[in-house]
Amino acid sequence: MSTVISLNGIVKRFYIGQPNELEILHGMTFDVEAGTFVSIVGQSGSGKSTLMNIIGALDRPTEGKYLLDGLDISTANDATLSAIRNKKIGFVFQTFNLISRTSALKNVELPMLYGGIGPKERHDRAMELLRIVDMEERALHQPSELSGGQKQRVAIARAMANNPSIILADEPTGALDSRTGRLVMDLFHKLHEEQGKTIVFITHNNELAAETDRIITIADGNVINDTGLRNKPTAARKLSQSDLPEGAAESGVAAVAGKEGK
Amino acid sequence: MGIWENVLLAIAGLRANRMRALLTMLGIIIGISAVITISTLGSVMQSFISGAFSDLVTMDSINVYSTQKPDPARNYYLEEDDYSIECINDMADRFSDDISAYAISAGTASGTVSDGKKSRNINIKGVNEYGIKADSFKMLKGRNVSAEDIEKYRQVCVISNRQAKTLFGSVDNALGKTFTAYVKSDNKSSTMRDYTIIGIYEYKMPAIISMLVGGRQDNDWNSDVYAPYSTICRETNTEVRFYYFTVYAKDANKAPEVAQKIKEYFDETFYANNDSYMCYTEANSQQLDQINNVLNIVKIVMSVIAAISLLVGGIGVMNIMLVSVTERTREIGVRKALGAPNSAIRIQFIVESVIICLIGGIIGITIGVSMGMIASIIAKATIAPPIFTVIVAMGFSMLIGVFFGYYPANKAAKLDPIEALRYE
Repeated sequence: MSTVISLNGIVKRFYIGQPNELEILHGMTFDVEAGTFVSIVGQSGSGKSTLMNIIGALDRPTEGKYLLDGLDISTANDATLSAIRNKKIGFVFQTFNLISRTSALKNVELPMLYGGIGPKERHDRAMELLRIVDMEERALHQPSELSGGQKQRVAIARAMANNPSIILADEPTGALDSRTGRLVMDLFHKLHEEQGKTIVFITHNNELAAETDRIITIADGNVINDTGLRNKPTAARKLSQSDLPEGAAESGVAAVAGKEGK
Repeated sequence: MGIWENVLLAIAGLRANRMRALLTMLGIIIGISAVITISTLGSVMQSFISGAFSDLVTMDSINVYSTQKPDPARNYYLEEDDYSIECINDMADRFSDDISAYAISAGTASGTVSDGKKSRNINIKGVNEYGIKADSFKMLKGRNVSAEDIEKYRQVCVISNRQAKTLFGSVDNALGKTFTAYVKSDNKSSTMRDYTIIGIYEYKMPAIISMLVGGRQDNDWNSDVYAPYSTICRETNTEVRFYYFTVYAKDANKAPEVAQKIKEYFDETFYANNDSYMCYTEANSQQLDQINNVLNIVKIVMSVIAAISLLVGGIGVMNIMLVSVTERTREIGVRKALGAPNSAIRIQFIVESVIICLIGGIIGITIGVSMGMIASIIAKATIAPPIFTVIVAMGFSMLIGVFFGYYPANKAAKLDPIEALRYE
């Protein structure tokens, strides 16, 4: 089983060299295997968001090494980070963050648009993804015409658009009532089991975390508890999380990064 | 991501905020239409004024004057400072290859014409056979003043079609009639003489005068009577001398060159021993050039003023784009999280600003060209649509889009995705 996320001694500091220098992460180290549904649990101020930003390639660590699918994020430039976010990571946010005044379909197409996929293929794949999340009939609706749960399902479809290595979900049920939250959670389970997706689930809801394969608890910028893999991976999980052969994904990112790099 | 996808994205962005996009466009619309209208108006004015000027004079004519030297030995004027008929004839012989004719007019006299019942005040101008042409009039009936008339001091004259109508009822009726004129001169009491009408010229009010007097064609502005200069000079008891006369170049294009040669000729011959006066020549084409230069400056100044409104419009675009970037900070954050590179964000906003300016530009051009066309119809000037200005205006409005869109777009592109996602 291959390692998707490899964090090694990750330190994040802000206001470096200034009197109010602040260290949020104090050298975190853990790996996540492909096909795992892992939850990261922690209270507010524990460093959860900072960790998520680093895992999501939105930010670079001050110290330490972060490999995503074998690619070194720690030293990548902005253009490379953009390409990595596009190809390797699917974000699901607490507040959905769909682009307003744009149909659900166009929202799902967006990562593929930035990924340079042609209009026809984009449309077909977006419709397929909307079908998976059971939002096919609402494809042409704008976010303002959708309920919270529906918005989150569109957001999940969008997160899967470029068939990323990981889905990074930041409190995806936080803005939903418990029943709708349950439906969204079931959808994650479905994606995990049927499609073998690696899902990083950030939450402070211990009940929801308990449903996942592995729980990493952080506090004050340190990992204080890691359950490790609690279940044996299912057959579905053994499926490759990508249709691409070994190495192709990396070269794809490199090509995009090279094209968009200045 | 192709440019077409960026355009679609930008259009979607603009449609989301129609009213604002429209108001922003308004600045560009006003700016562009002002520039085009004013530059068309400038061309209309230019064509109108040069047309009016061409009505008054012909391009092959060269005006020859007697003028004071910059450092004259005396401050009074002598008869010998003006051109004599002999020296003019010598010049005409000398430049027979370059000039076709010369027109002189001398000994203007004022008098009263009477047919027994009606009487009216007139000017009688002593001219040679080209004098009427020099005043830009055409013969309508009968014949012009001839060299023979001049030589024989004939009491003949050419009057205008309007005088003919006033005095004799019609043009045909006037021809061959005789009228009496009392001519006043400086050193002689009024002389009463009979003049036989040998020809009628068509009086046409020059367009520029017509414009000044409000187009009232019946206004009796200038309606001279032309008679042989020899006759008039004898009446007014003045020597045949010319302070000014007109020469016609055979080739209008060479008129400025011929003008210079004539000046040199007179300065070396007629004015060689004159301590205070010299020759001054000016081809009409040179005058037209000067008028055009002035008009061009006026046009440029007006266009610059219009361009300032365009600049204000451009700043409006920048302002709105900055507001738009701030308003859509979160959206920018989401796009970045989904993998939009900085360049894609930058292009998205620049394309938006260019589209605002381009649509504004197209509307502005349409308005400007229509206004210009209306103005040219009113002024009865045929002005081709200013294609060049239109192309420049299109290019310029795109440039405004890029220029004033770049700063806000760059601001958007450089946003930190984490900060942008957190923005409320």
